[in-house]
Amino acid sequence: METAKADRLTQLRAVLANQAVSMLLILILMWFLLSLLSPYFFTVSNLSEITLQTAVIGIIAAGQTLVILSGGIDLSVGSVFACSGIAGGLVFQTTGNLWFTLAITLITGAALGSLNGVFISWLRVPPFIATLGMLGMARGLALILSRGIPIFGLSKEYLWIGQGKVFDFVPVPTLILLAVFALVFFIARYTRFGRFTYAVGSNTEAAKLSGISLRSVILGTYALSGLFCGVGAVIEAARLATIQPAGGNGYELLAIGAVVIGGTSLFGGEGNVIATLIGALIETTIRNGLNLLGVNAFWQYVVNGAVIIAAVAVDQWRRRL
Amino acid sequence: MSLLLRLQEIRKSFYGTPALKAVNFELQAGEVHALLGENGAGKTTLIKILAGAYTTDSGSLWFRDALVPGHYGPKVAEDLGIVTIYQHFHLLPHLTVAENLSLKAFISEPGWYVNWRTVQKRARETLARLHFAIDPGARVKDLTIAQQQMLEIAIALSKKAQVMVMDEPTAALSKRETEVLFGLIRQLKQHGLGIIYVSHKLEEVKLIADRLTILRDGNNVATMQAKDADLREIIRLMVGTSPTGDIRSGALVRDKILFSVKGLRNKHFKESLEFVVYEHEILGITGLVGAGKTELSRVIFGADRKYGGEIRLNGHLLSLRRPRDAVQLGLGYVPEDRDSKGLCLNLAVRENIGLASLVKLKGWFFNRSAERRLVRESVNSMRIRTQALDLPVKYLSGGNKQKVVLGKWLAAKCNLLVLDEPTIGIDVGARQDIYRLISEFRQKSDHSVILVSSDIDEVLQVADRVLVLSDYRIVADLDPARTDKGLILEYCTRRAAAVS
Repeated sequence: METAKADRLTQLRAVLANQAVSMLLILILMWFLLSLLSPYFFTVSNLSEITLQTAVIGIIAAGQTLVILSGGIDLSVGSVFACSGIAGGLVFQTTGNLWFTLAITLITGAALGSLNGVFISWLRVPPFIATLGMLGMARGLALILSRGIPIFGLSKEYLWIGQGKVFDFVPVPTLILLAVFALVFFIARYTRFGRFTYAVGSNTEAAKLSGISLRSVILGTYALSGLFCGVGAVIEAARLATIQPAGGNGYELLAIGAVVIGGTSLFGGEGNVIATLIGALIETTIRNGLNLLGVNAFWQYVVNGAVIIAAVAVDQWRRRL
Repeated sequence: MSLLLRLQEIRKSFYGTPALKAVNFELQAGEVHALLGENGAGKTTLIKILAGAYTTDSGSLWFRDALVPGHYGPKVAEDLGIVTIYQHFHLLPHLTVAENLSLKAFISEPGWYVNWRTVQKRARETLARLHFAIDPGARVKDLTIAQQQMLEIAIALSKKAQVMVMDEPTAALSKRETEVLFGLIRQLKQHGLGIIYVSHKLEEVKLIADRLTILRDGNNVATMQAKDADLREIIRLMVGTSPTGDIRSGALVRDKILFSVKGLRNKHFKESLEFVVYEHEILGITGLVGAGKTELSRVIFGADRKYGGEIRLNGHLLSLRRPRDAVQLGLGYVPEDRDSKGLCLNLAVRENIGLASLVKLKGWFFNRSAERRLVRESVNSMRIRTQALDLPVKYLSGGNKQKVVLGKWLAAKCNLLVLDEPTIGIDVGARQDIYRLISEFRQKSDHSVILVSSDIDEVLQVADRVLVLSDYRIVADLDPARTDKGLILEYCTRRAAAVS
């Protein structure tokens, strides 16, 4: 009887030891509390709004997860996001071709991300510095290309990507968000690249001596991170019907925050991408909740930063249990 | 002699699994008391309890006939003068020898500024007292492993140590350095220190220890005088069964060269390296620390840059520019330091074993159930003691970890295994398993093994042929049946002596 109880207790502890699970519980608790505090919170339209608001940061955070799993960090996501959006927007202004625009946006993102990978693996610049440099360069490029002027006049088809609904119910960005997470989950779990990413993050030297090509793993993770910045840029442009060269400011905080709230280790090699989705949803819920409760928007930054620190502190504490 | 330390009925469990079941242990002043046992027998747990890193579940600790009351933690251990010298040193690599020696004083002495004259003086005195010829101004990272260990001991002594626990102190030392260490230990004994000596090298233990205590499965099974102890008896007590004998089987026919190295040079090997490995052969490579053993294994695996020379496997010229090339072409490498270079510690056993096979696959995807099957086969053949393949490797014992590294290459179906110190810090049972695996491996056609080891006994016992390295040169090519330890040692030291 006693042992059965103890067993159940250890099982419970094992489940709670998974940060993804405990974060999911916290998310549900937050939704519960917010629905008590505000009658508007638990409505279909608000919940759908939360997934919509999560889409951009969530997609960027999915790429960031791969980078962090490999033991790196990508500080340049906000700038790469802006620069790829602007590059696509300029193509749209000159050609008006939607497919061409989308392709250029994504390619620009992936190219800037790959450049990060080149700095890191060929020039051996530490990820923190390489992507910090890119944060500056990509932002500058975005401002130079656009001459600092926002881009307007996107077509109806383009706007559908951010504002449309499938079956008049599910927002398109929500679907893209789910597709990206399904893709990254698949990459992490079922591809050699995914497994190598974990291995490199866990022990770079052991991975190298097992015959893994560090360069292709590093290049791949940063290229994907850049690519997903491009995807995020398309959605944001379509939602707001404008492309801002100064957009995406501070997105690195939100994206890295979503990853660490999900419990992925900043030392690499440990964590999973679904947890990142939950982390991103928690961030959006906080913002949404503070809005509904009428709190000054500037407080959102403070609360968000505090939540990130708290999440990592709790994670550290839990690891010592 | 007076009783220095007494542990009575010490019990300790981790998550319900007992690690120590009522262990008793005594240490006299001026005694070297060896603690022996397989990995998982409870040695490390006991050491950590003495260091105050773990608390006991029950039992009592007596120091000089007085019961140590209350909570026993790191602070209490330090105050009593119980100091542990770990396998991995706790030195600050970028600081100088003198600064490391004064670290304790920096912390405990009042004041805001550093009196560099005192620091220098303290260092000179401490080093002189122990007859260490180390420059106090040298940075620790530039010292050899042996010198770092000496420094660690010097620091322990400056803390007024009365009991010194040494965990595998000779693991990284060459024969000569070991003798220097033993000299020092004898000196410490004279000063009345009690030394708890943990090692897997049984012959060494017989040389240095006065008494030895054998742990098995968390019990102390025997305590005896070291000079009366019989090696086979010790092993039997440690393992619980009789050890197996020689793993060499029959005469080796050397009619086919599997692997050859010609004219190989790099930044370490100024003179070109030449040697061959025959099919089915276990080629032993030995030498003192600093002779270039690890550098040799790294360069033939493509981990270090080459300046010139050719490497052939099965007659095919290999262009080994990166480890990846070596893996693709059928080489496997078990590095010396398994934790920092051989394993992804927070990945599962399954993922670690599958890693090199995955490298050899083509395409983007892999079949998870095929991986699971492959790993299960590999684990079964290796007798890895792990219930769950999904357990992170970091929870395994040293022996099982090493089997995982080996398993990675067996699963990848490599042809030539390069093993760098494969049994360092591993217990007798696991060591026999590893020898058996190597022996099974080389019996397959087109398979051979290069065994790099500073343990001359091991090389003599396992290898079919022995190359002796000294100062980055191959100085001898010997048949183990017609040589002995003394001769090999002579080759090891001759060149080195000639150089210095």
